[in-house]
Amino acid sequence: MTISALRLDGLSKSFGAKTVLFPFELEIQPGEIHALLGQNGSGKSTLIKILSGFHPPAPGGSCQVAGVELELGSPEAAHRSGLRFVHQDLGFVASSTILDNMSFGSGFPTRFGTIRRDRAEQSCRQALKSAGLVLEPAAPVSALTPAQRTGVAVARALHTASPQDRGVVLVLDEPTATLPTEEVENLHAMLRSAASTGVGILYVTHHLDEVYRLADRVSVLRDGHLVLSATVPEVDRDGLVHHLIGGVLESVRRDIKEAQQSTGDNRVMLSVGELSAASIVRADLRVGAGEIVGIHGLTGSGRESILSAVFGAIPRRTGTVQVAGRSVEPNPHNSIAAGVGYLPPDRKTGGGFMTLDAETNLTIAALKPFWRRGWLSRRAAGAEAAHWFGQLQVRPVDGVRKPLASFSGGNQQKVLLGKWLRLAPRVLLLDEPTQGVDVGAKAELHRQIIKVAESGAAVVVSSTDVEELATLCDRVLIMRDGVIATELAGDAVTEARINTATHAASTRNEGS
Amino acid sequence: MPRKHLDLGFDRFSGLYLLALFLIVFSLLAPQTFPTMATVHLLASTQSVAAVVALGLLVAMVAGQFDVSVGATANLTGLVAVMVQLHGTMSAVPAILLGAAVGALIGVVNGFVVVKLKVDSFIGTLGMSSVIAAVQVIVTNNEEPVPLDSSFFNGMTQHAVFGFQLVVIYLLVIAVFLWWLLEKTPAGRYMYAVGGNAEAARLSGVRVDKWAWIALTLSGTIAGIGGILFVSLTGPALAFGPSLLLPAFAAVFLGSTQLMPGKVNVWGTLLAIFVLAVGVQGLQLVAGVQWVAAMFNGLALIAAVALAASRLRKGARKPRRWRRSEPGGGSPVRDAAVPEAKSLEPNLSA
Repeated sequence: MTISALRLDGLSKSFGAKTVLFPFELEIQPGEIHALLGQNGSGKSTLIKILSGFHPPAPGGSCQVAGVELELGSPEAAHRSGLRFVHQDLGFVASSTILDNMSFGSGFPTRFGTIRRDRAEQSCRQALKSAGLVLEPAAPVSALTPAQRTGVAVARALHTASPQDRGVVLVLDEPTATLPTEEVENLHAMLRSAASTGVGILYVTHHLDEVYRLADRVSVLRDGHLVLSATVPEVDRDGLVHHLIGGVLESVRRDIKEAQQSTGDNRVMLSVGELSAASIVRADLRVGAGEIVGIHGLTGSGRESILSAVFGAIPRRTGTVQVAGRSVEPNPHNSIAAGVGYLPPDRKTGGGFMTLDAETNLTIAALKPFWRRGWLSRRAAGAEAAHWFGQLQVRPVDGVRKPLASFSGGNQQKVLLGKWLRLAPRVLLLDEPTQGVDVGAKAELHRQIIKVAESGAAVVVSSTDVEELATLCDRVLIMRDGVIATELAGDAVTEARINTATHAASTRNEGS
Repeated sequence: MPRKHLDLGFDRFSGLYLLALFLIVFSLLAPQTFPTMATVHLLASTQSVAAVVALGLLVAMVAGQFDVSVGATANLTGLVAVMVQLHGTMSAVPAILLGAAVGALIGVVNGFVVVKLKVDSFIGTLGMSSVIAAVQVIVTNNEEPVPLDSSFFNGMTQHAVFGFQLVVIYLLVIAVFLWWLLEKTPAGRYMYAVGGNAEAARLSGVRVDKWAWIALTLSGTIAGIGGILFVSLTGPALAFGPSLLLPAFAAVFLGSTQLMPGKVNVWGTLLAIFVLAVGVQGLQLVAGVQWVAAMFNGLALIAAVALAASRLRKGARKPRRWRRSEPGGGSPVRDAAVPEAKSLEPNLSA
């Protein structure tokens, strides 16, 4: 038997009292492409951060790269042992050239301290070529397409400055998350050719179909446990989904679906006409009171920007938005005044005030109720925040005055949802409402979303999580190339139908 | 369980403990000169002006804006208030109002540069401070005005009540006003929100540009008032402004680690400015050299920012666990003693 490219044994990690990664074993053979699946918060990013030396693991585990024991905890040691990474943000200095970016990590070839430009350029060209890229080393990274950047990142990771400095294992963290669909196959081809040279590849992804099109083996992390590790033909799609999600979510099915439809309350609460913004071209959308409408689509389809365009957070070229029949000016302030709430997809950059306390985060959108006779009553604001902590089961219960950053992802998301729920919105726009959230918090968030819809709000959920859409939504709209291409309603709202519709509408539908 | 704002956490009050330490050490080293009422009165009045300027900067910092023009602004407004009185164009009260108006105008221009021209506030106000310095040369012809012979103008700050000069009262009035504005009004919440995360504030319906502009205008106005208080207290000078800038920054940053950790705040800033001033004063009396203030303030600024940064890192990774009442656990004070020891170090070495 050959020596494993990567062998992890008993690796684990805790932050304080919270264990985010329980001891597990994982092995990757040379030339193997190993897919790693896991929902946000499952421990996958922790695993990658441990491998890359960013987090030291809990004592007791072992990591062997090509049979050699690696002392985890330093990026340099990880690099020396042959671990290579393509992180999600790629880590380029965009204004610098490809050549410089490739050399920042491995070092420039020099003579007497002066960069030997010809030699650097030659080795850079070679690295690009072996990755199948035809690019000028002198081109700035900022001029490249997203796909080219990912390619350069792979080339950089596998770029060998010297024979001792060879990549043994390549770890890619959701490389296709920001990639246009037509470029995914190019990346896959690049990875297959790298694997054929004996490099072991750990491929982290959210896309189930990538597992079947690319990987030899697949592992699934859920809530910090490695729940599955098998060869790909051994496990079918449903089995994967089952391992990924676990059983918890099933209980939050929307039972009132039929009831809602039979009541026939089809007052249109949100009406969007001819909306053009970012990559969206003249999208129409009508959502009735009490309805939950899902929006799905691959990255680049316009799904990722439609809600912020409706809310007026990004500029729109054309289009109107009406709430309960009244036009709304396209900016967040007026949208909120008209009864629209918008939960942004990334709570760190757009959603929350991480350094400010939970109470401020909950109350910022409407402070009037606490403003009496020239005095902002912290007592009233605190009481209101505490009320929503109870409603949403935010933990810790007494954390109203604690900074948002000190809460777990799920609880942060609950706080940010509570911020809109307390305004009793007419329209609630939720962009990836359960990203980075554990399974329990996800179920709670879903319960709250259903509750607000039952109270008569029009809810639109834009999500990459098919399971979530199938669980929550009365209708699901599939976007493709900036337009709403397919509408699924009633019994057609199933994971299978959403997936089929999405992939029928895309060039990605080659394999499986 | 003690409520949060009542607990004796050493970290939030490290400034007070540092102050106590300074008082003990310098009283021992300079028993004749340091522990006297004269020192207290001197510090209170001279530092009141510095504190007013620091509070001006604080408002800008709350909204996430650096205002490095506060020193230059104070200098110009002070001189303008003196010049118009010297020339006899205005009596004291209109001159004071004019000075404050000049400060407000500078703040408005700063806001325009930052909000409309989208220049980073640090760069924008740095450029503006040079412009202000140029305007000051135009106004004064670079000749230091003679001190005013106006008992009203000078008396308005120098008049003593219980040994403390009136300027201390003005500081307290401004501080209470800002505390009310920042902590007890929606305006304060909005400004903190803009400073905390401008994009999240925008998506929460907060008019980010408006509040950034208001914060910079207030900053200029308060710095302008600080300048007027300075010339009233110590007489006109051509270059007093720059000496107020660094202590202001040091105080705001150090203040953000005090009383309400992780948040720039009024009382923390005041505490910080007086702690730093006591340190400077004590060292000056003990060492008797001129370079103490510059050295101490520079090191204190770096130490304060380092302290604020390390707190932020600590806070982000794990909440301060010694706050939670653990069943049967010891007093919060004992557990807090460890971070306290760390936080003292940089200040002591300064």
